[in-house]
Amino acid sequence: MTEDPVLPAPREATDEAAREPLLVVEGLTKHFPVKGGFPVRRTVGQVQAVDGIDLTVHVGESFGLVGESGCGKSTTGRLITRLIEPTAGTITYRGRDIGHASRKQLAPIRSEIQMIFQDPYSSLNPRQTVGKIVSGPMEINGIEPDGGREKRVRELLEIVGLNPEHYNRFPHEFSGGQRQRIGVARALALEPKLIVADEPVSALDVSIQAQVVNLLQKVQRELGIAFLFIAHDLAVVRHFSQRVAVMYLGKVIEVGDRDSIYTRPRHPYTHALLSAVPEVNVTDEDTGGRERIRLAGDVPSPINPPSGCRFRTRCWKARDRCAAEEPPLVQLSGNHDGHLTACHFPEDPTTAREEDIVLDPALAALEGESK
Amino acid sequence: MWIRFKRDRTGVISACVVVFFFLIGLLAPLVSKLYGKDPYTVYADERPELFDSAGVPVQPNGGISGEFWFGLEPGNGYDVFTKLLYGIRTSLMISVAVTLATVLTGILLGVTAGYLGGRADYFISRVIDFLLAFPAQLFFIASMPVVVSLFVSPRDETPVYVRVVALIAVQWFLGWMSLGRILRGTTLALREREFIEAAKVSGAPPWRIIRREILPNVVTPILVQGTYMLPNFVTAEAGLSFLGVGIVEPTPDWGQMFSKASTELVMQNDITYMFFPGVSMIIFIVAFNLLGDSVRDAFDPKTAR
Repeated sequence: MTEDPVLPAPREATDEAAREPLLVVEGLTKHFPVKGGFPVRRTVGQVQAVDGIDLTVHVGESFGLVGESGCGKSTTGRLITRLIEPTAGTITYRGRDIGHASRKQLAPIRSEIQMIFQDPYSSLNPRQTVGKIVSGPMEINGIEPDGGREKRVRELLEIVGLNPEHYNRFPHEFSGGQRQRIGVARALALEPKLIVADEPVSALDVSIQAQVVNLLQKVQRELGIAFLFIAHDLAVVRHFSQRVAVMYLGKVIEVGDRDSIYTRPRHPYTHALLSAVPEVNVTDEDTGGRERIRLAGDVPSPINPPSGCRFRTRCWKARDRCAAEEPPLVQLSGNHDGHLTACHFPEDPTTAREEDIVLDPALAALEGESK
Repeated sequence: MWIRFKRDRTGVISACVVVFFFLIGLLAPLVSKLYGKDPYTVYADERPELFDSAGVPVQPNGGISGEFWFGLEPGNGYDVFTKLLYGIRTSLMISVAVTLATVLTGILLGVTAGYLGGRADYFISRVIDFLLAFPAQLFFIASMPVVVSLFVSPRDETPVYVRVVALIAVQWFLGWMSLGRILRGTTLALREREFIEAAKVSGAPPWRIIRREILPNVVTPILVQGTYMLPNFVTAEAGLSFLGVGIVEPTPDWGQMFSKASTELVMQNDITYMFFPGVSMIIFIVAFNLLGDSVRDAFDPKTAR
């Protein structure tokens, strides 16, 4: 990573560069205490939002993190940007453990890890002009670019596809997509090496989503910035990320490169997630062969997660072993390199299935009647 | 915002009235110099021909004449016009000082409580609850002599500035809680917004976050509350002086003029003495409250009146 991000030099993610780890997360855990009781409030439980996850993000790589609502994706993002303090585990950024560093110790790294937020309506200070917002991070970190901050801000606005003349406008004068672009410009202002994007497009209109995702992709390719892309939209992640991790209830249950996850998934939960993605083709011929899995119930409470495999309460293959023993995240036979799955009884590496799996009793009854 | 304010006719007029009062207060020495009198001259001694044997002005309506526009007070025979000018000056000075002190305290404690949360928030909120439970007026009356005697031994003559400081301190002590509470709530809501997190991600120190990200967003409640608080402090101060625990003779004060107008037997028969301070105070308070409404409307057009 020696390129100057000001000059958009086309950058192919070469193999050796992609192998160099930028961020290594090991056993990252965040438990939120649940307080209760009267008259003395004490901790009565722990929300195990993130429970021992391992991730590696390589230089210039886009790493996707997907999962249901409440599975700990955003918490992971916030832990990595150190907005919240991890309970346990290490976050190693370029060989330095930043998991418990104080604000002063973090200062040199702050400029290299930036964040893009979910809600463009609350991530920009309504009382500051665009120029102030984008130049704020430079000011805090004492960065004085050539030609002054204002010139740099105008450049950044141009990079993200906004008119540099918007420098003196206020955020309320912009649409959601434009605001998100301002957020991207702010994240780019410090020339970061890693951007944590916490559902950057889920608050946007579908047509705008595509624009913003393409902008992020352009930024990622041209400036060689690594992304940790948190999203629940599988299609967006497939479009954007080279490697993908699937989270369930605070654990990574499957991780691998894009093709492995999307075409050769092994974990039953990944199968279920993929089968839940709506297809544009609805005619019988086109959907024939595509698996259909309908899970029942909700994600169990993270305060009291199931023993062993966390997915076993909703899994159609669960057996005694799943309750007794937590499956390790390992490479299964027949998987590509780097494709790790945490399951005792993995599925076949395909997304096609002859029989539907319908666990939802109401839906099953409905379909039983119609047959 | 300024444009919205200018469109509000009530707001502009009341702002003019308020500015007029502040100008009077500021320029009181100049006006009284032009007028050629000052509020400390004892006209009962200087011009005994204007008073009868009981010390009441001979001419009707409290001795209003071309020379003494608003008349003369019975007894010592102070000039009412200059007394009113200087009274407004004293009252406004004290009230502005109290408002500034309460706003500063409210910002400091409210924003701190809201931003830090946790233990600090709990502690500050309980202090606010505790102070809000005080009966304010009774507390003022009861504590004024106590506070004054902290500075001066009861046997000595109390200097005017000690009374002023005591008035400011007592009102400040029980005045900052409402603003503090409002700011705590606003800050709590702001703290969860993502732009605060964005500032944190870029490594901003807490002080900078408070100054650059939070304070600009709480200017509206501060201004609105400030314009509502100031007239309250004016009336409270007048009330204290009326009850005799605030500013006392011979220092001129708005509230103390009411007290003179109502207590002395002779004055009760003549409404003139109540008329000038009363009308001026009503105009001032009404104008200032209307100004507060207009300021709020200008800042936040969405809230219905």
